[in-house]
Amino acid sequence: MSVIYALIPVAILFVILAVVIFFWAVRSNQFEDIERQGMNILMDDDDEKEQTKSTHDRSD
Amino acid sequence: MASEVEDGSCFHCLQPIPHGIELSVAFQGEDKAVCCAGCQAVAETIIEHGLTAYYKHRDLDKPQQAPLLPEQLKELDVYDNPDVQSDFVRKTGHNSKQTTLTVNNITCGACAWLIERELAKTPGIIKSVVNVSNQRLHIEWNSDVVKLSDIIARLARIGYQALPFQQNQIEADINARRKGFIKRLGVAGLATMQVMMIAFALYFGVVSDLDSTTQQYLWVVSLVFATPVIFYSGQPFYKSALKSIQAGSVNMDVPVSIALIGAYLASLYAVIIGRGEVYFESISMFTFFLLTGRFLELLAKEKALKFSTNRLTYMPNLAHREYQGGLEDIAAKQLKVNDTIVIKPGETIPADGVLLSDKAAVDESLLTGESRPVTKATGDGIVAGSVNQSATLRIKVTATAQQTVLAGIVAMQDAALADKPKVQKAIDHIAQYFVMTLLVIAAGTFLVWSWIDPEHALWVTLAVLVATCPCALSLAAPTSITGAVHRLNRMNVLVKGAQLLESVKQLDTVVFDKTGTLTFGQFKLISREDFSDVAKTNAIVSGLEQRSEHPIAAALADLSEQPIQPDEVKNHPGQGIAACIQGTDYRLGRVEFIQTWHPNWRAKPHSNVILASRQAVLAEFQVDDQVREDSHEVISALKRQGIRTIMLTGDSDARAQKLAKALGVDEVLSEQSPADKVDTIKRLQQQSRTVWMVGDGINDSPVLAQADLSMTFAHASDMAQTAADVVLLNDQLTRVLDVIETARKTRVIMRENFIWAAGYNLSILPIAALGLVAPWAAALGMSLSSLVVVANSLRLYRL
Repeated sequence: MSVIYALIPVAILFVILAVVIFFWAVRSNQFEDIERQGMNILMDDDDEKEQTKSTHDRSD
Repeated sequence: MASEVEDGSCFHCLQPIPHGIELSVAFQGEDKAVCCAGCQAVAETIIEHGLTAYYKHRDLDKPQQAPLLPEQLKELDVYDNPDVQSDFVRKTGHNSKQTTLTVNNITCGACAWLIERELAKTPGIIKSVVNVSNQRLHIEWNSDVVKLSDIIARLARIGYQALPFQQNQIEADINARRKGFIKRLGVAGLATMQVMMIAFALYFGVVSDLDSTTQQYLWVVSLVFATPVIFYSGQPFYKSALKSIQAGSVNMDVPVSIALIGAYLASLYAVIIGRGEVYFESISMFTFFLLTGRFLELLAKEKALKFSTNRLTYMPNLAHREYQGGLEDIAAKQLKVNDTIVIKPGETIPADGVLLSDKAAVDESLLTGESRPVTKATGDGIVAGSVNQSATLRIKVTATAQQTVLAGIVAMQDAALADKPKVQKAIDHIAQYFVMTLLVIAAGTFLVWSWIDPEHALWVTLAVLVATCPCALSLAAPTSITGAVHRLNRMNVLVKGAQLLESVKQLDTVVFDKTGTLTFGQFKLISREDFSDVAKTNAIVSGLEQRSEHPIAAALADLSEQPIQPDEVKNHPGQGIAACIQGTDYRLGRVEFIQTWHPNWRAKPHSNVILASRQAVLAEFQVDDQVREDSHEVISALKRQGIRTIMLTGDSDARAQKLAKALGVDEVLSEQSPADKVDTIKRLQQQSRTVWMVGDGINDSPVLAQADLSMTFAHASDMAQTAADVVLLNDQLTRVLDVIETARKTRVIMRENFIWAAGYNLSILPIAALGLVAPWAAALGMSLSSLVVVANSLRLYRL
């Protein structure tokens, strides 16, 4: 049982870390436009694919 | 989300393709049909710039808007004028500037990507960030390399209308508050999870060998987690409670604060002395639930506010002033009285003045709501905001900026808004009784228990405090209001004011504006009577009307696809138009104009445009402002509900009476000025009637502000939209009925919530006072009752 005396403080530290990261995310406007972010990753990927494809086309 | 464009609709804007149009763009080797040259140009630009991913990922369920037409691009130069820019552009460096534009047709993430990509390719752009939920674009650019008008034009070429808007201070405040709320919610959420985990260990014997040292240790850990929740996350409640006490009243946050702080202090005391009860998990959870409710309420409010700010696009009024023999362009706000200005055809008049030219036709619909041009002669007054519909005019300025008639209407609107009857929120009314009862019962419990068993007095009182924390009760109103707002948003109705629910209870009068509200506000051909060959008549009429600038003309100009071009066209202002076609003289115009040729002829009662040659009358047309199809339905539905309907209009009595009779409106007040309209509403309110107003013109904005609740349409003037509490986005009058129904339904749900929440608090109170409620039971009961309230409010989301 005595292990909880060591583990819980560690858990507290993790939570504090999580809060710090969360605050940073809020401050850097990451929650400003939630609708958009899900889409972002798709768009950028595709663009790269298109570019590689077109370079292939050219090399052919 | 649909992924394929339907057959028969435009590849770019998704509108149906009109018959006979055969335009297309090449997209990935296939020809895709588009509806117009505008969409074709936009789609070609997008494809040419290698931005085809947009077409793959856009959200097809949301309506796209038709692209900006190229002729509208010419006027963008105004935005480069330094005087104009000073109102909305910030200089960030030697030659870099930044601003925020509203882009009203951003519908999804793909639009944001498209805009940012397009701008990234534009030389001189330092930074561009699109926010989809706000429909805003933030840009920073190098003013030596690229002009703002170029940026706007570039966006127009890919189909987006970007315009500066008037920044709103309230919005900045709400933004800051929203960020604060997200942080507080995050802390409360994370901490509550930890405290609940420990509470499980404490109450449900997860840890089997729980000795008193371990228990004390777990209590301290709970205290560590609950402390930031109470001191940081709970702040909004204490602040609001203090504010209401300072204002001499009591709101729901007062009992919430008493319960939270009281329970925290007592639990803290239990930890210090090492015995008693702790309620850390309950108070953390309450804070989290309550914050969530407030947060959702704030988001709904923010959305409405952002919408109305986006509508306030900045209108750069440039004036052409005569100066040292030439013309110079200056910002309208810099005009002085006695300046002479020149107004080109189609321009908006920037200041009040008197006409120097011989005659003029101006459209004063902005002020009067009537879209018929008014003829003016030398020396007549011209009002700022009206549109020049004749040749170039010269005007001597008599009043500028704050002194104009238009500014006067704004002032009238502000006064009416301040004068608006206030409704006390029902929830704050309950709060007053609640606080007193809470304090009396808590004190009573403590006294009685100190007499019976001093050892337990504090802990029983603590249980009472926790049990009576009006958590569910204070969620009752915000969750149902947020539910109603979401439901209405899904019906394309935007709610700005909170008066909706309070005023629907006593609603007994709905006042409608006529033009643009009960009617479409546009002239259309209603009926016709032909006395000769229809095809030839059509060809003649559309040929003639294409040469006329009268607003009625637009309704008839498209009658024929092959109009006959007339010779020797002569306009007779206020009468009609005369021309010679293939050697025959024709006249098209009002009845009196035709009767000079055919004195004995009588027109049908409703006909107002007649075509005749010297020999015979060829056709009669009835061109009128068309009544909305749903006007009749709305009026009769309101009457069935026992609501009085009144029509207010600036129009002439005869026309108003005719329409009123057709629709079955109870009362008509015609020839009303904006001030008369406000007085009418005030008089009704003094008869203790609750008045809703539906209107759309600038002249309606004061009266919209005065009414207990006001509605307008998305096409309405910006000022009407600012003044209105509810905006009907999809231009259907029947939505008025939906709003009433939703508001009533919401009231029912809110009442159920109140009854349930108050019932729960009342029934657990005696049990808590008897000392029979364990901390875990108090936490469980409160969470369940809160969840019931939330679930009940969620019913509003179902359509």
